[in-house]
Amino acid sequence: MPTEAIRTHGLTKVYGTFTAVDHVDLSVPTGSVFGLLGPNGAGKTTIIKMLTGLSDITEGDASVAGFDVRRDPMHVKRNVGWVAAEVILDDDLSAWENLWLQAKLQRLTDWKGRADALLGYFELTDRRKDKVSKYSTGMRKKLEIALALLHQPQVIFMDEPTIGLDPNTRRMLWELIEGAHKEFGISILLTSHYIEEADRLCDTVAIIDHGKFVACGTPDELKSKVRADLIEVETGESVDAAKLQAIPGVVEARSQGKTWILRVGSAEEALPKVLAALRSDGIRRINVEKPSLETVFLETTGHRLGASTEGNVDYRKFYAQMRRARQ
Amino acid sequence: MTAETRYGPAFPARGEPGFSRVPQGTQFGALYAREVLKTFRNPFVLVITVVQPFMWLAFFGSSFSSVPLPYLDVLLHAHIQSYLQFLLPGVLSTSMLSIGMFGSMSTIQDKRFGFMKRILITPTSKATVYLAKALGSATRGMVQIPVMITAALIFGVHFSGNPLMWAGWLLCLVLLGFGFSCMFLALTASSTDWQTPGVISNFITMPLMFASGALFPTANFPVWMQTIAAYNPVTYTALFGRGIVLNGTADWLYLGYVALFATGMVTVGTLVASRYLKVE
Repeated sequence: MPTEAIRTHGLTKVYGTFTAVDHVDLSVPTGSVFGLLGPNGAGKTTIIKMLTGLSDITEGDASVAGFDVRRDPMHVKRNVGWVAAEVILDDDLSAWENLWLQAKLQRLTDWKGRADALLGYFELTDRRKDKVSKYSTGMRKKLEIALALLHQPQVIFMDEPTIGLDPNTRRMLWELIEGAHKEFGISILLTSHYIEEADRLCDTVAIIDHGKFVACGTPDELKSKVRADLIEVETGESVDAAKLQAIPGVVEARSQGKTWILRVGSAEEALPKVLAALRSDGIRRINVEKPSLETVFLETTGHRLGASTEGNVDYRKFYAQMRRARQ
Repeated sequence: MTAETRYGPAFPARGEPGFSRVPQGTQFGALYAREVLKTFRNPFVLVITVVQPFMWLAFFGSSFSSVPLPYLDVLLHAHIQSYLQFLLPGVLSTSMLSIGMFGSMSTIQDKRFGFMKRILITPTSKATVYLAKALGSATRGMVQIPVMITAALIFGVHFSGNPLMWAGWLLCLVLLGFGFSCMFLALTASSTDWQTPGVISNFITMPLMFASGALFPTANFPVWMQTIAAYNPVTYTALFGRGIVLNGTADWLYLGYVALFATGMVTVGTLVASRYLKVE
């Protein structure tokens, strides 16, 4: 077994004049969970598509499970599983038939015992003969993970595994993903725009924005990079930067619309001074942030994870979910 | 090694007994079975598939019912018992023209719902997907054949020929349907738009239906239409069937021509699809 589950060098994808993924170097050790964290449109899904051979690589090299993605795509495909953001199953078939199709496409024999065991593991045995269209979202997601595990892949790609799920189902899925990872010793690459998810599940996180890696490390390493605390202030009156920077303890002041983000050594010490200085400006909202992946993202990209999704909504995913909800 | 785990029985690991690979044929077989399974689970599609050619026979076949037979013999350049007898082989041939639409629509549905990604993320080639779709949609079209022949028998059409000839005729129709199915799927390989199959269907069906010997004898056509009809495989399938139904004679060269057409289409189509079949 190779020591690296995934390795890329200068991985690039260009659509016409738009560079979706820009010279990404990636190394995922075997058996680890690697998270790609970034807003919609950052290039996360494009990276997965290139690594699984669904999309051509414009430039650079990539290997998955020890096989070169360009030269040996069929070996790569035998060794990867995939969990899609929008839950892709054949709704006209039952759970068992979906597993049957997956087994045949992966050219497995003697798959039935394993399929049975997986259905048991994901608590779907009773409903195995029901059409998938009658399943709840959580059950569909479980079945999708079972499909991804059926052929015993070395690497699983999970694209936004918990997008659009309610908090309870999300937590249940996190436990399942953690369990599956421990149980099957599979390397996982997951994409997410939930900080909490990356923090909980991943050994290593890369922050990606506009197709480029802007930071990479363990969640703790990344958090320790942001030594400062952040104070976010929204005022009624407009305030100029010089006034804010003059406050003792403020290292940097950046504006984001009407809101100011102040980088301070210690929020506990700086907060009273900030409040005193801005008393006459009508503080509407104040928010203190200790280092988290969210602040790491804010620090490294200059904008919030949620902020850049405005006007850049992934409508296809959204409509796919709406369609499913109607059925 | 297998062991009991917290989550129940462990699974055979890679390389151990119980984990092996089988030849590629099963990928094609499974995808083809999926196509057929989905069709037969949708009774509405099945009913329409069956009713449509039946309506052709009932409505179009009755349009000359008041015309005295000697006039029809002159018009159709044949000695017939009824226009239906003349028409049946033609309608069966023309109904093979648009059956590729089924496969094309199911391909576009797979692209739209992302299922094409699920298929192509496994070690399955685009050519395998294409061939399974083409044969699947040809199979769906084949359902029409027994229905129409039964209907024609009910309407009182007399069949000449022998079982070998009838088998040849069936093969001819299968090849024609498969050939057009391949053509249709190749034309829509890169499409993701629901509207495309309908447009392509009209585009293929209209000229090839009328510029053929399926509905009327080509001897009545202007020269330019005769030229199209002379290359049109629909003509040869219709003539092959008509020879059997009317006179009990089979011109096996016609079958050969249709086989050549099907071979050409599947070859070109596979090449086109393995390059241009879009994932989404």
